[in-house]
Order: sequence, then structure tokens, then C-alpha cells
Amino acid sequence: MNRRDAIQQVALLLGGMISAPAMAGVLGEKTNFGESVPVSAEQEAFLSELADVIIPTTSTPGAKAAGVEKFIVRVMRDCFPKEDQEKFYAGLTKLNTDSRSSFGKSFVELDAAQKIQAVKSLTTNDKAFFLRMKELTVTGYFTSEVGATKALEYLPIPGRFEGCVPLKPGQKAWAL
Amino acid sequence: MYLNIDAQKEMTYDAIVVGSGVSGGWAAKELTEKGLRVLMLEKGHKLDHVTGYENAMKDPWQTKYNGRLTVEQKETHPKLSRDYPYNEMSEKYWMNDSDSLYKEVKRFDWYRPNIVGGKSIMWGRQSYRLSDIDFEANLKDGIAVDWPIRYKDIAPWYSYVEKIAGISGEKLGLPQLPDSEFLPPMEMYCVEKEVRKRIEKDFPGRTMTIGRVANLTKPTQFMVDNGRAACQYRNKCALGCPFGAYFSSQSCTLPLAAKTGKLTLRPDSVVTNLIYDENKKKATGVRVVDAVTLEERIFNANLIFVCGSALGTTAILLNSTSNRFPTGFGNDSGELGHNLMDHHFRTGASGTWEGDADKYYFGRRANGIYVPRYRNIGNDKRDYLRGFGYQGGGSRASWQRNVAELSFGADFKEELTKPGPWSMGLGGFGETLPYHENRMYLDPKEKDKWGMPLVVFDAELKENEKKMRVDMANDAAEMLEKAGVKNVKSYDRGSWLGMAIHEMGTARMGRDPKTSVLNGNNQVHACKNVFVTDGACMVSASCVNPSLTYMALTARAVDFAVKERKKGNI
Repeated sequence: MNRRDAIQQVALLLGGMISAPAMAGVLGEKTNFGESVPVSAEQEAFLSELADVIIPTTSTPGAKAAGVEKFIVRVMRDCFPKEDQEKFYAGLTKLNTDSRSSFGKSFVELDAAQKIQAVKSLTTNDKAFFLRMKELTVTGYFTSEVGATKALEYLPIPGRFEGCVPLKPGQKAWAL
Repeated sequence: MYLNIDAQKEMTYDAIVVGSGVSGGWAAKELTEKGLRVLMLEKGHKLDHVTGYENAMKDPWQTKYNGRLTVEQKETHPKLSRDYPYNEMSEKYWMNDSDSLYKEVKRFDWYRPNIVGGKSIMWGRQSYRLSDIDFEANLKDGIAVDWPIRYKDIAPWYSYVEKIAGISGEKLGLPQLPDSEFLPPMEMYCVEKEVRKRIEKDFPGRTMTIGRVANLTKPTQFMVDNGRAACQYRNKCALGCPFGAYFSSQSCTLPLAAKTGKLTLRPDSVVTNLIYDENKKKATGVRVVDAVTLEERIFNANLIFVCGSALGTTAILLNSTSNRFPTGFGNDSGELGHNLMDHHFRTGASGTWEGDADKYYFGRRANGIYVPRYRNIGNDKRDYLRGFGYQGGGSRASWQRNVAELSFGADFKEELTKPGPWSMGLGGFGETLPYHENRMYLDPKEKDKWGMPLVVFDAELKENEKKMRVDMANDAAEMLEKAGVKNVKSYDRGSWLGMAIHEMGTARMGRDPKTSVLNGNNQVHACKNVFVTDGACMVSASCVNPSLTYMALTARAVDFAVKERKKGNI
């Protein structure tokens, strides 16, 4: 049973209408009206490239395809105090500086192998920034539509419960 | 004096029910089904069944922060953001900190809903009967007062409400945890089945069962006819269930009350006090302030059920002063606001399970396991009174797990898409004793925007609870280790009153009007037409989740009240 069918079934069953998720315009809507660090389009693209090194496209699409940078920008802006935001974006800038001094190119201009090398250095040069970036990337990716439905198995309405069944070969983890 | 007789009639009902949560919903259903015209007053906003649950059907990518709180929410909700029930998805269901003003002599976490249905929407749904071990406890221990009822008085009412609400679980035949009228139990994970076997073998007298939960595993025809469907195993209950698959006022009691045509539900209605008539020696109605417009109105009835949740109800009673009741409604005993209880929890143990790598599950079970109380039962004697039960369960990690800290890239991604290791945990829920000095009272000066004096909390856990917590952590670790769970770690994250959201005891029942507020029928000793059937009535806390008991006591109290009304005693 897919989601649409399930919703229709509920609607029929209960004789009511389920409001469509009121999502229009929600994503990216600004809710923190306090001070926040402005983020440029270049920084956003940079975050997208970096996230895609942490979770690349394999047999399933990666972080860039999932648009994870939008989640990262939103969560940093709204859920972290300004000093944490400053630290985070300073870490991003520093990664670019290091990239230029090591490879003579900005991070987004590096080839795939160089990007991996740069992130490897990052894990020792700025572990705090790497871990924050990794955490946000992982959460943003596996809760994205691409991550939840392609990299994991997503079942919005299981409809039944079995507590002790064999794990099928190659079975992916449940998204929820 | 000019009297608008029509308007007076319009605002007069057979009965008023204050609050629309677990207790209020049952009161309204029972009263209307017995033919009374009922006005239900709810402080919170309207929340329609199904269509009102706006986050219930959202996919994870339709949330903004994956449940995280924003800086702004943390700043504007310093108290609510202390624990998990308040989050991105549930925000609208709770009162704002800026409206929910209260004072803490000692830390108290007060979770106040702001919706029709009250906490019946967000509750944990764990449903257990009290036993005579609970009802006799105060008498045996010589503390507080004796319960005015015994198990036999409430047992038929448990059965009555269970068949309507729908409780799933497994029969065990234990004296300390009487069985309910069960729908089929949910299944245990493989790890839970194995741990249960080993606990039963190594610890005679202890067992582990699937949680008894107010989710419909297999709805009866009656439930289906009332628009309720079987649990879909989405585990999003607290957002409101569009399938009506767990008990809430919206899914169960309010539709049944509405069906009688005798229910008037008025949201946004803050009841500030009961009105007492010195000549009639009865309550004649309630004063209401509109939550939005702040307009004042009086509603009249000859029968009043106060079901505003323990603390809300007690605040209303304390604020209902008159010549007859100078310190609060029905407060001849001086016990109103005292004996404040909650369960204490957040201590236990957990560890990893190395077996069952080839086992998985289907669906998301909105339930865990339960270990019934075994301490201070039979020949077991501890250095503290009463006992605790455990809630917990097994789980198989998903992408949230921490794999090699500095890893990233294709292999890291691949690893996270596979099911991770199993783990198993037990968390204790302990009984808190009724201490007279644990209390709430009203601030003499400061009021909230509806003119209600602010509640002040002065209550804490004491030696008995602290000693019990040592057992709660150690026993959990011992049982898990013996059962073969690895890397077992015990924990005590600290527990503050209010946090378990099982507030109880502030208008207790009892036989003697000199030492209790309510009699054995939940009737105010000193005012026969007022009943209190929420957590305020509890004489001791037991260690089991209390809501099922409020349902049974409410149905029982309504039955008594309507009979008394027919006899002309009310």
C-alpha cells in the first residue's frame, strides 16, 4: 500500500478529509529572527560538495542529489547560537584556505581523489568542524526523501508488526 | 434587578465537566449516555480528530529540523524544553512557557497541554491496573491515609472502561499487576523473548511481558463501528492518530459523547473557580475566562466534574474561596494541594546484544516491554517502602548509530544503510510516597493573563525514593548481565517531580473528611455535587502508569453521581 492509498483509506474509514501536508513554502522559511551568520550561494554550493564527499553517490544518490546543504544551512541558522554558526562557517572557510595551499585550487575545483584527501586532512586539522559537518550531513541525508527512500527502506504505514523475523539478504535498514 | 431568564437557561446545563483529557472525556461520555446535558469546558484550543493532526502524516523530509528545537524555541520555552515531549512536531500541543507561568521553590517540570483532548493525545498509553497491594499500602505502612476503596470496588470498572478504550497485553495472573480485558498482545523482539526466558529462570518471582498499551491490535466490532482502526505500527502516536488506533478523548470518548446529542464542547474556556452558594450549600456553576478574548462568563449546573488534570484541578479548587471555604474549595482537611506525587524514573541500565544479527522486524511497535514490580512483595524486604516496575525493550540500530568516528565516504555510507547491532535496556518507574510537605499552593500576588493566581511548587524526592533508585539501577544491570546482554551500563540521569507527567495526590480521597478532600466515590466530602476524578484524587502513587485508573474511577464516580441525583441527594 503506498502513502496516497493509505491516506485515502484513512479518509474513507473515518469519513473525514486529511489535510495535505502544509508544506508549500515551509522549507527554507526563516524562523530565527535573531542574529545569524549570512550564508552566500557559494558557501551553500561548497557545503553541498563537502557533504557529497561524506555521503557520495554510490549505487544510490548521495548528499548533493538529496539537497542536504539546505538542511545544514537551515539547522545551523535556526538551531545553533551565533557563536557556533561563526565557528562552523570559519571551519568551512579554513578548509578552502587549506585546499588552496595544498592543491592550488579551491575545494569545489578539486577532483574526486583530491577532495577525499582534503577531507581526510580535515579529520585531523579541524576535528570539531568535521564532526559537526558529518553529523548534519548524515541526519540531513537519511531524513531526506532520497536518503530515506533510496539508501534506506522507507515504509510510512507498515500496517502490521512482526517482532522477530529473518533478516533478508541485502536488506536495507528501516528509515524510521 | 433585571434577569435575562433565557440567557440564564442557555448557560445552564445538567452537568459541567472541566477538562477534556482522559478523565474529562470519560466523565462527558458517561454523563451524556446517562441522559444528562453536559457542558465540557476546555482551556486549550480546538483540535479536530484526524484533520487536526497536522504533523501526523508528514514524512521526515517534510520537517524542518528533524525534530530539533531552534534557538528561539529554547529561549522562549526554558521550562518545556527541559525534556523531549516538547519538540518541533508537538509544539502546538503544549502551552507556551510565556502563558504557563508558575513558580518553583524546588524544580518542578509542569507539562500543560493546550488542546482539546489534553494529554490523552500525547500520553505514553501504558495502561495497568492497580492491585490490593497498592490499595492496602498506606494502611500497612502507617503513612498518609488509607485508600477508601479496595481492588474489588474498582475491578468491574476497569473491565468496563478497558472494553471500550481497548488495551492490548498479555495475561500473567500476577497479584501485584491484575490482568485487564485484553486485546491480543504485541509481539516481542527476538532479543526480548530470550532475555525474558533468562530473567524468569535466574530470578524466580520476576518476569517480563510486552507493555500493556492502549493501542488497538485487533479492534472489536464496537470500536470499528465507532470509526477506530487497528494500529498501523507507524509509532507516531503522540502527534495524534488519524486511524483512531489508540485511546484518546478524540478517538474514543468524545465521539461517543457527541453521538448522544447532549454534549456541548467549549474550547478556549479557562475555568478560574467554582461558585459556591452558601444557602444551597452546593456549587452552582463555574466562572470562565475566554482564553482568547479574556471575556468572563458564568455557566451553571447542578453537578460538576472537575477533571482538569491533578495540578490544574487543584489550582481551580484552591482559587475557589468563599466564606464556607476560605482556604480553597472543599478544603476542610487542609490537605488540598498537599501530598503531591509523580513517578520517579530516568534510572536503569542498558547494553548491547550480540546475537540475532540475522533477525529483524517489520513495522514500528509503539510499545516496549514491562517488568512488573517484584520488590517488597511476598518475602522480599528492602530498606525502603514500595517498589518499581521497568519499561524498556530491545532495538536494532539504524543510521543514527555512531560508527567509526572519523570515517566518511562510500564505505561509511554503505555501512549505515545496513541494520546495526541490537541493544536492550530497562528503565525503572518508581513509586513516590505521599508526603504532606510536598505541595503546591497559589501565589498570593501574581496572576497569569487569565487572572489565575500562579501555582507555586514546593516538592521533592526524599530518602525513600533515593534508596529505591539505587535498586532501580543495580537490579536492571544485574538482570541484563545475567541474561547475556554485553557492555551493560547502569545510569541515573536524575528525576524531578513533574517530569514523568504522572502528577497525583493533591486532592486525595479518604474515609475521613478531616484528613482528605474526596470520599470513596470521588465526591468532595463537604460539597456533594462536586466530583474530582483525575490524578488529584490518588491516595498513593503505585508504580504503574495511572491513566487507566482515572478512567475506571471516573466511570465509577459518574455511576454513583447519577444514582444520587435520581435519589435527590445531589
